[in-house]
Amino acid sequence: MTDLRLEGVSKRYGTDTGGTTALRDVDLTVRDGEFFTLVGPSGCGKTTTLRTIAGFEEPTTGTVSFDGQPMAEVPPEERDVGVVFQSYGLFPHMSVAENVGYGLQFRDPPTGLTVDERVADLLELVDLEGMGERNPDQLSGGQQQRVALARALAPEPDLLLLDEPMSALDARLRESLRRQLTRIQSTLGVTTVYITHDQQEALAISDRLAVMSDGQVEQVATPQEIYREPKTRFVAEFIGENNVFDGTVLARDGDRAQVTVGETTLELTGVPDSTDRVSFCVRPATLSRTADTNRFSVAIETSEFRGETVRTYGQWNGMPIILQLTAVPEGDVTVGFDPDDAHVLDSV
Amino acid sequence: MSLSDRVTVDRSRLSAWLERHALQLTALVTAAILVVMLYVPVGVVFVNAVLEEGGLTLGHFADVLTDPFYFGAVADVFADPLAIGTHLGSLAAWLGAVSITLSLEYPLPGIGLPVPWLAVETPGVRTGLFGFTAYQAALSTVASVALGLPAAYVLANYEFYGRRTLRSLTILPFVLPGIMVAVGFYAMFGRGGTLNSILGVVGFGPFAFIETYPLAIVILAHAFYNAPLVARLTVAAWESVDVRTVETARSLGASKRRAFRDVVVPQLAPAVLTGALLTFIFTFMTFPIVLALGGLQLATVEVWIYDRIQRLEYAEAATLAILETILSLGLTYAYLRYESAQAGFSQAASRPAREPLYPDFRTALSPRRLAIFAYGIIALVVFVGPMVSLVIGSVTDGSGLTLRNYAFLLERQLEGASFQTLPLPAIRNSLLFGAATLVIAVPMGVVLSVLTVRAGRSGTVIDTLGMLPLAVSGVVFGIGLLQGLVFGISLPGGWRLQVTGAIAIVIAHAVAAYPFVTRNVSPLLANLDPAMVESARALGASRLRALLDIELPLVANGIVAGAAFAFAISIGEFSSTVILASGSESYTMPVAVERYLGRRSGPAIAMGTLLLIVTAASFVVIDRVGGRSEL
Repeated sequence: MTDLRLEGVSKRYGTDTGGTTALRDVDLTVRDGEFFTLVGPSGCGKTTTLRTIAGFEEPTTGTVSFDGQPMAEVPPEERDVGVVFQSYGLFPHMSVAENVGYGLQFRDPPTGLTVDERVADLLELVDLEGMGERNPDQLSGGQQQRVALARALAPEPDLLLLDEPMSALDARLRESLRRQLTRIQSTLGVTTVYITHDQQEALAISDRLAVMSDGQVEQVATPQEIYREPKTRFVAEFIGENNVFDGTVLARDGDRAQVTVGETTLELTGVPDSTDRVSFCVRPATLSRTADTNRFSVAIETSEFRGETVRTYGQWNGMPIILQLTAVPEGDVTVGFDPDDAHVLDSV
Repeated sequence: MSLSDRVTVDRSRLSAWLERHALQLTALVTAAILVVMLYVPVGVVFVNAVLEEGGLTLGHFADVLTDPFYFGAVADVFADPLAIGTHLGSLAAWLGAVSITLSLEYPLPGIGLPVPWLAVETPGVRTGLFGFTAYQAALSTVASVALGLPAAYVLANYEFYGRRTLRSLTILPFVLPGIMVAVGFYAMFGRGGTLNSILGVVGFGPFAFIETYPLAIVILAHAFYNAPLVARLTVAAWESVDVRTVETARSLGASKRRAFRDVVVPQLAPAVLTGALLTFIFTFMTFPIVLALGGLQLATVEVWIYDRIQRLEYAEAATLAILETILSLGLTYAYLRYESAQAGFSQAASRPAREPLYPDFRTALSPRRLAIFAYGIIALVVFVGPMVSLVIGSVTDGSGLTLRNYAFLLERQLEGASFQTLPLPAIRNSLLFGAATLVIAVPMGVVLSVLTVRAGRSGTVIDTLGMLPLAVSGVVFGIGLLQGLVFGISLPGGWRLQVTGAIAIVIAHAVAAYPFVTRNVSPLLANLDPAMVESARALGASRLRALLDIELPLVANGIVAGAAFAFAISIGEFSSTVILASGSESYTMPVAVERYLGRRSGPAIAMGTLLLIVTAASFVVIDRVGGRSEL
């Protein structure tokens, strides 16, 4: 089991002048046994980060270390990592059992076990008992994914790296595999770095997560903190649906402040002393028709019926706003929010 | 730590180092082999073309470029490029003298079949050797496209018994030795050939087709080679046309014909153009076919270079070789640029269903089906005729069945003098050289594939450098080896690099063959999911181990197919072998065929048939393992 640390990791492709930058000064610490997720839109650098950890990419600057050991000169095959790729990378010319057992040629199975026993154990762990003799192409996508997981786990890696392992599967299957994965991870206690572009998945599955954008880490925190207290506008807008507004501070009272947005004056908490301009976010679910503070009128444009709730899109002070109502509104609606439900961002 | 421990540690460290750098090491070895076997010989030709009595000179080039024998009317321009007025004047005078007439002609000798004949009378312009070579290449390209496109149409759009076999047979010409095809055409169109035998039955002939229309026969032989190539490339493009794009065009209001023109044709055009360009390159560098069917009377640049070498005029041969290579490299570069500009043919998500070719008797009589039938007859005559004629010709003479031709071979083997060309050594040499070619060409080809695919963007450079043999003709390469390795190169310190006889021939064959290995392996290798190798490495396999465990087993089919190609190329190689084997006992079957052809055609045809059998055997291997070539 391993502590993973990235310090000042940057990655540039191509020449100094004409290349592209995939990672800018990434600092991350993943604790022993933690389920850690990198989430961000495609092209944000999360896969490059994972490939750098696995040793398939050399960082241009910065260091990757496992338990304090710098990994710069260590090739992938000597890092004791298990990797599951988006496309699984199963070996089509080997049976399922041969796939799972492949890594045991290079690292001995756990003491007291033969290779065959270890393979059988892992197939059982991923609910594929008795499938060992099949060929990978005889399996469904979900089964292939589990073979890839079993194969990565067989040599007891110090670190498990999962690169969007579920993105090729349909939503229902993804959820059940997700539960299976968290169960296996907590049973084995293996330090895990998981990559996804799906923010809901990231929130559901992780002990902690890092939100990445444009090669940089925007915020590292627990799912609850990321959701409730996003630090940047990017995190606020990327994780869940959110309304982000800019306002000007009129008056202060401790950390309470009067803030104007357009022609509306609102009361917010947690406003820092330093600035007169603030950005804050209010989740659609916290904008309620019955709240008695911070009330304003929204011009409705469209509504989507979503069963339990109705997602409504409208305009307020010339800015788009999303509401979550219980019924399709007729005409404009007035909503309000509790000052404690709004969250002021660190940066404007 | 004891000494033995230390030695063990050192040894394991050394083997780890070797394993980690195995790829770089093999790459270095391959590069060294390529330099010695490919770049040095070609470089020697170049150096010889610009050296005279120890000094640098462009005199040879000037001599050739300004000689109307080589460059015809253009030679004047090269001689005095600044006299633009004079050149324009002579061009205008020439254009003014062109006349176009339409008349009825009787093209078949002795048959009163009138054909409307569009004649373009041009006042005799001297095209020169290069002009003529380009002219016959252009005609051959037109003929190949004309013969290849209908085949592509039928193969891509109709379902019939044997379609898949026929489709895979389009690769066959690539492995057929040129000299054998030439002899096949000889057996068909010669004075005592099958065509004259058939015509004789109905009381015509015999006609001297080859003597009367040598150019037409040469062009037909070129079409035999290249029409299947055009067809192959076009079928691949046609099969990858997504039928939904046609359906979308139809639903937007395009007629069937219009949808074909707007949607299908633009997707086929690149393939047809690629085929045409490759055909032009190949026929520009044509050698055995012209040598055997046309001789010096129809000399192309290659044939002339060979003739210069026979007369030991190496400087002139080298100059011509360089000029030809510059032209063909230019064309190949154009081809590569064009090819890379095209997105690779992806497998269509939904293919059009193929119509049955002959669903019922009624449809079979529709004009379209009749046209296809007529094309089938022509294709049968052009493609099957020469090969069947070869076999028939080997067991017949003017009067009937005979084994005399084989008896001649046997007799020559038993009683021939040692300076004569004996059949058994030829067969033995061919098989031996073929096997030796495999041993060199397969590892080289595979290593180049691995490097090309691995290197990413710089892979294109490696690919292009490695593909040079495709653009350098066998004759040019032959003189390169002759002047470089066979005559020997002085190295510093009194050493001498000299390679002769059989080894030089094997080198030539290996260099001609390895691109086919690379071309067969690279696409398979490039299609492998990189996640497989990376998974293997994360599981603890070294890079080399991952190559051996994962990549090589998965591209085994491509390697076997490439090996079969390499063997077939070696068996059929004529151009450089005939140069390197002259005056030695290292002659191969194709060389023997050509030598026998000089006297009577019967023994050559019998020898050609034996060559056909050996070549067919290697084709069976290619087909069995489902080889695919990018060419």
